[in-house]
Amino acid sequence: MRRVAVTGIGVVSALGNTPAKLFENLMRGISGVRKITPDYSMQLSGRLAATVDFDPSAHFTKKQIKAIDRVSQFALVASSQAWADAGLVLDDEEKVQSGVSLGTGMGGARSLDEVCLDLYKNEASRVSPLSIIKIMANAPASHISIQYGLSGPCLTYSTACSSSSIAVGEAFRQIKAGYADIMIAGGTESLITHVSFKCWESLGVLALEDAEDPSSSCRPFSKDRTGFVLGEGAAVVVLEEMERAKKRGAKIYGELIGYGSTADAHHITGPTVSGQAHAMNQAIEEAKITLEQVDYINAHGTATVANDNVETQAIKTVFGDRALRIPVSSTKSMHGHLMGAAGAVELVVSLLAIKNKAVPPTANLRVPDPECDLDYVPNVGRAGVNVRTVMSNSFAFGGTNAVIVVREV
Amino acid sequence: MTTMERIRRLLVEKLDLRAEMIVPEATLDSLGLDSLDKIEFMFALEDEFNIKIEDRNVKINTLMDGVEVIDKLIAAKHA
Repeated sequence: MRRVAVTGIGVVSALGNTPAKLFENLMRGISGVRKITPDYSMQLSGRLAATVDFDPSAHFTKKQIKAIDRVSQFALVASSQAWADAGLVLDDEEKVQSGVSLGTGMGGARSLDEVCLDLYKNEASRVSPLSIIKIMANAPASHISIQYGLSGPCLTYSTACSSSSIAVGEAFRQIKAGYADIMIAGGTESLITHVSFKCWESLGVLALEDAEDPSSSCRPFSKDRTGFVLGEGAAVVVLEEMERAKKRGAKIYGELIGYGSTADAHHITGPTVSGQAHAMNQAIEEAKITLEQVDYINAHGTATVANDNVETQAIKTVFGDRALRIPVSSTKSMHGHLMGAAGAVELVVSLLAIKNKAVPPTANLRVPDPECDLDYVPNVGRAGVNVRTVMSNSFAFGGTNAVIVVREV
Repeated sequence: MTTMERIRRLLVEKLDLRAEMIVPEATLDSLGLDSLDKIEFMFALEDEFNIKIEDRNVKINTLMDGVEVIDKLIAAKHA
């Protein structure tokens, strides 16, 4: 059976635009959540977001900036880090065996907002011919495939908050089954826009602002949790067939050994214990590991009342007594909820936990919740933990659950 | 400013081209404009000269062709 190695990682996030910076900030418990003041501020009831500090002109020409939405810009920058990190140089034959698999929730949401504003408010008679290619959800994946000349599968998955874990898992299957040798996989999201902000607000899932310290507003697994904070960014991994990676002496962050993909088939927003547990069980079964071997779980941990409760129960359902002894943390408390990029950024965090032998904390966990009684690594990260196998959970509105298991090689 | 000078300025501003490349004989292809750039260029010409290039079959190969089309449309408007 073909095995799959991770040989490169890249990230654009509110906590830094390199994997090292992201992990360092997470370990220090630093939050990327802040108050923002867009020009539509007056219409927002909450103004929290985990925004990325990003200067497009440092990476793209004026012409590219105009033709490529921020969501694709993030994806391209994260990919360039991952690609350089992997150190791959491919000939034409190898490029045919290489592809892209990306997740995004809302694609070019910013460009769509701009076009709507132009048409509805400014009554423009026409819009830019670049509008469609900026808005379409598969633009990020296509830009990557064009950039590196990868002519194998070029796929885009949109399953809300689990999009990028699905994208990584499906890329894993492409390689495992022999359809590809190399896949750039991950996710990207840039949806901090007027329209999307208002829509999320109405759903009642966004965190209320902490009056004293806005950066501590997202509090996963804490009794006083009120929801998540919109984030943005991208994370990308280079997946490579193991023998190929070993033969060329590539640096290997870990092996992707298991993937679970299930649906709750229950409710469009409400999660289920059984659907989540089923996905975890699938991933563990494929990974051929025992429950004892899981050293760390990077939780979905959105900090909504429903998710954290249900996820806790699902972990207990799968792991039994062992559940209480596994460190489980939600790094969304710090990098925000990256939606279609969430699973990928959390996979990068999981790989870095293996590399650094350290477990990042769940920030802002200040009031224990009797319903959430696992070891959530509250507030302080742990160094010197022998992290060898990590499970990364991603669940979603719509009910698509994705679980990835990675292991040290 | 002549029509050609205004086209040159547009191409520099909108499509990030170097001014010295922009000579009347230059074709849109030789300037590296792809199909999307060409649509954008047409839109920019319409806005700049306050004209409508309605005829989808109009062929603008070189910049000189563009100058001719524009001057004709402007003349027709004033006629």
